[in-house]
Amino acid sequence: MSTNEIAACESPALPRTAALSRAPMARGLIYALCWNVPLALIALTMALPFIWMVLTSLKPLSEVGLANWLPSHLRWENYARVFQVIDFARYYWNSIFVAAWITFLQVLTSAMAAFAFSRLQWPGRNKIFLLYLATIMLPGLVMVIPNYWIMIELHLVNSFTGLILPLAFGPFGVFLLRQFMLTIPPSLDESARMDGAGPWRIFWDITMPLSRPGLITLTIFTFMGTYQNFFWPLVMLKSQSLYTLPIGLLYFNSTSGQATNLLMAAVTMSIAPLVVIFIVLQKYIVKGIQIGAVKG
Amino acid sequence: MRRLLRHRGDLLAALAFLSPNLLGLLVFTLFPLGFSMVMAFTNWNLRHQNMFKPNPVRWVGFDNFWRLLQEADFWRFLGNTLFLMIGIPFAIAGSLFLAILLNKESRGGDRRIYPLVISVVAVLVSAMLLGLWGMGASAMELLLGTTAGGILLLGAIGGRAVYRTLLYLPSFTSGVAIFVLWKDLYNPDTGPINLALRPVLRNIQNVVRSIPPFWPRLGLWAAVLLMVAILAGAFRRLGRHWREGDLGTGIFLSATGFMIIPTITAWFWFPKVGAAFLLTLLTAAIVIWQWTPLAGTRDADGRGGSAGGLLLALMTLPALFVVEGLGIVCFNLPAQAANGLHAPSWLASYYWAKPGLMIMSFWIAVGSNNMLLYLAGLSNVPPELYEAADLDGASRLDKFRHVTWPMLAPTTFFICIMSIIGGLQGGWDMAVAMTQGGPAGATTTLSYEIYAQGFQRGAFDKASAVAWIMFVFVLLATLASWKFGNRYVNE
Repeated sequence: MSTNEIAACESPALPRTAALSRAPMARGLIYALCWNVPLALIALTMALPFIWMVLTSLKPLSEVGLANWLPSHLRWENYARVFQVIDFARYYWNSIFVAAWITFLQVLTSAMAAFAFSRLQWPGRNKIFLLYLATIMLPGLVMVIPNYWIMIELHLVNSFTGLILPLAFGPFGVFLLRQFMLTIPPSLDESARMDGAGPWRIFWDITMPLSRPGLITLTIFTFMGTYQNFFWPLVMLKSQSLYTLPIGLLYFNSTSGQATNLLMAAVTMSIAPLVVIFIVLQKYIVKGIQIGAVKG
Repeated sequence: MRRLLRHRGDLLAALAFLSPNLLGLLVFTLFPLGFSMVMAFTNWNLRHQNMFKPNPVRWVGFDNFWRLLQEADFWRFLGNTLFLMIGIPFAIAGSLFLAILLNKESRGGDRRIYPLVISVVAVLVSAMLLGLWGMGASAMELLLGTTAGGILLLGAIGGRAVYRTLLYLPSFTSGVAIFVLWKDLYNPDTGPINLALRPVLRNIQNVVRSIPPFWPRLGLWAAVLLMVAILAGAFRRLGRHWREGDLGTGIFLSATGFMIIPTITAWFWFPKVGAAFLLTLLTAAIVIWQWTPLAGTRDADGRGGSAGGLLLALMTLPALFVVEGLGIVCFNLPAQAANGLHAPSWLASYYWAKPGLMIMSFWIAVGSNNMLLYLAGLSNVPPELYEAADLDGASRLDKFRHVTWPMLAPTTFFICIMSIIGGLQGGWDMAVAMTQGGPAGATTTLSYEIYAQGFQRGAFDKASAVAWIMFVFVLLATLASWKFGNRYVNE
């Protein structure tokens, strides 16, 4: 690379108002290549495990473990086989069922609590909010054992109720939604009050629609988090018919023996929804992470 | 008066709105928190108290804690937890690097040249593929070439979002599926990592066998000198902060204590006692040299620089360990090569299981939320600062050191604290899915010990005690972040 090219890479391209002459065009082009090539190489390295995963899931069993990553022919039937070998469809359904319930409870109760913390004036509000603030940093592992004992006492071990309840009321959502609700102008509430609307009306008709981005973000995070969560399900679920996807994968991993191709097909299918959701909703996800950090 | 009345009405409404979440929080978070404290002080073990053995649960005071502290295994598991945390600074540095790369407008800055960029990239990619094809590349090489070309083309068309998605995927999908995937990547016989490593190791072995034995020894001494240089640099900076009064004595001493740890382990790990001796001696000399002019300084109360001082110490420690490790590897290489270099058996090996998990964690963490936070931080740096630096004739490195890095300090501090808190609680997920804490307890962290004791052995007492010890560590890190973080951010 000549020194000119290096110089072109190093100076940031500023937006130009004048018509593009040939020199800035060449500069911009070289600049673009300078940043694209390393990024593409790093992205390729990061993607290698995924590439291997997909290719292995399409191999016949005899080709698993060869240095050549490419299957001699694509065996799509591996994916169908997974559903026959383990009850994969049920794990999928259980995961979605549990995650949907937890998300519903979490978002609803968090939104209500956040409304109380941001839109209503009441004595002791800040003290209780401080309590919420403090619990957000608590390590979940400390609470797991007593929670397990509670579930033993309530005879809820090995049930979806016992799985869902402790995960449905976190402080994080209250936080996130309070941040959003604080940005809604109070004059809206005042005028609704003048018109005789009660708190529930205000909550449902004004605050909820206006904090939609926050609600969407919280929904995505809770759903994703629960879909991936495996400590509590691992502890709670004993019978195979209740397994969620992560627990089902662990079980398949311990029983599949050398059938790496089927295992990889199962892994691919369990992360595929995540990839799709991220690509479709990444605007909300990226925003949400950045907001979450500012507040934390 | 009307205000008060309205507030009374609001109180009822607030209670109604708050109660579902607050009730859940009380029952499933706050009560368990207190109750686990109680459990830690009893002898509650499902093996001793069950329907066949209705022994009463007794209060045993601090017995569980004393017993834990006397257990060699407990200290080993604590050591494992800390060992796995050595990877954190590298992942953070990687995140920052990726964020800086991503922050540049990857398509040339001007919308009008996008078509040009895209077409040039398309031409280059197809030329590369045709070239590969023409040279008779293997199917694997063609596959890699095509993928790289595809990513490049997508990047030229879609810009930053494409790379951000690809880099973020490992952390977004991380969970059992990813751990199961990596367990197969690490398979000692059939895993792709070892399949790729074997030819490389064969080449290294041949090279090492042909070099004179004096070089590896030189490598060891180079490592010792590098450690001394890193230590000296860190102490110089710490000492300067202390002298200027913006670093408390307590922080200075504890940071010093931290950084001497690798010197002490070097004594045990370095194969030649001479090197370890020299290292210890030089460290002592540096510490004395730094401290002499500081004797009798005033300010014992820390000011703004404390967080920076702690960060410096925490970032220096892993660097020292890595240099130390490289020195040992260097020194042992000839003997190893003489016996033949073998690919490590990763998760099945006592020595390679932890590094294996660390490599995977790096892959997950490097493009994670931290990268997105840095990206947000970078876009908040006012461009005028760079323009001013340009006017002063600052180099790229200068701009990074004096503009970017200080402006990102609050982000870095936040990320470090969160990573430390996460690291202290971490490791159970990988252990459950990949290693079951083995081999021989090599990957058992505090959090996995809680799981193993509480749910596999029914020892609620012991598990709760471990959980509370872990909790104290987490609490300390959190308190440190509150104490120093506010100062740091407000600076």
